[in-house]
Amino acid sequence: MNMPHILRISGVLLILALLIELLTLLWDKPLSFLLFAFVGGVLFVAGVLIYLYSLVSIRE
Amino acid sequence: MPSPAVLLYFLLIISALLVAVFVLRPSITGNREGKMLAFIAFLILPTLCFVWGGTEHVERSKETKFCITCHIMEPYGRSLYVDDPAYVPAQHFQNHRIPTDVACFTCHTDYALYGDIRAKLRGLHHIYVQYLGTPPSPEKIKLYTPYNNRECLHCHMGARSFMSNDVHKAILSQLTSNQLSCTSSGCHDTIHNVGSQSNVKFWNPDQGGSHE
Repeated sequence: MNMPHILRISGVLLILALLIELLTLLWDKPLSFLLFAFVGGVLFVAGVLIYLYSLVSIRE
Repeated sequence: MPSPAVLLYFLLIISALLVAVFVLRPSITGNREGKMLAFIAFLILPTLCFVWGGTEHVERSKETKFCITCHIMEPYGRSLYVDDPAYVPAQHFQNHRIPTDVACFTCHTDYALYGDIRAKLRGLHHIYVQYLGTPPSPEKIKLYTPYNNRECLHCHMGARSFMSNDVHKAILSQLTSNQLSCTSSGCHDTIHNVGSQSNVKFWNPDQGGSHE
């Protein structure tokens, strides 16, 4: 996979994570916290890790 | 000045748009400035958003209105409006002896997600039962552990009205060590009592009076 492709995957995951965070903040229910923490959190961590991987792969 | 929540929404939208620019045009990262901007867009801003968002979620979940969102907690929310000074939570709530917007959390500080790891797991279990299980009827809900006098003494200890009471003075060491409970030793034992709400009057803050 080339750098732009990795960056796109990371970007899409982060956009989804940010949108989920926005929606859960607008939806004031106990379930929204779980969505934020487990769905948004997983997407956020995955997006950031893939971005960091893209930085390492450039150096290689 | 916009509220912190509005600023957070704004930051979330800006962050998502900035990331979207890189998704649509990844070639921007071809130069040094683009790489630095990508670092901010992919790492700094999302991390800031998630830390801020998590804090906002935790703060919101302390609010009384959040606690009574669950159907099962509605009678407990109603119990704060019972028009009878013998009801300890109602008396504290109606006379603003506790902050009314975070009334539940003020007296249940180690409950669910705010306590230790066991309390957090219980909090997750409550959400599971609420959405996927069979919640018990409100009057059957009990505390996992006896109510800690610490929550009462946090405010009352040292207060003139509390310390000048001869009974309190006589049993002070037993109260501080939790050997004697404030709420279940026959002194202040009318708490939420959600099972008997059909027989009580309720205070209406808008009218200043009470109603059945």
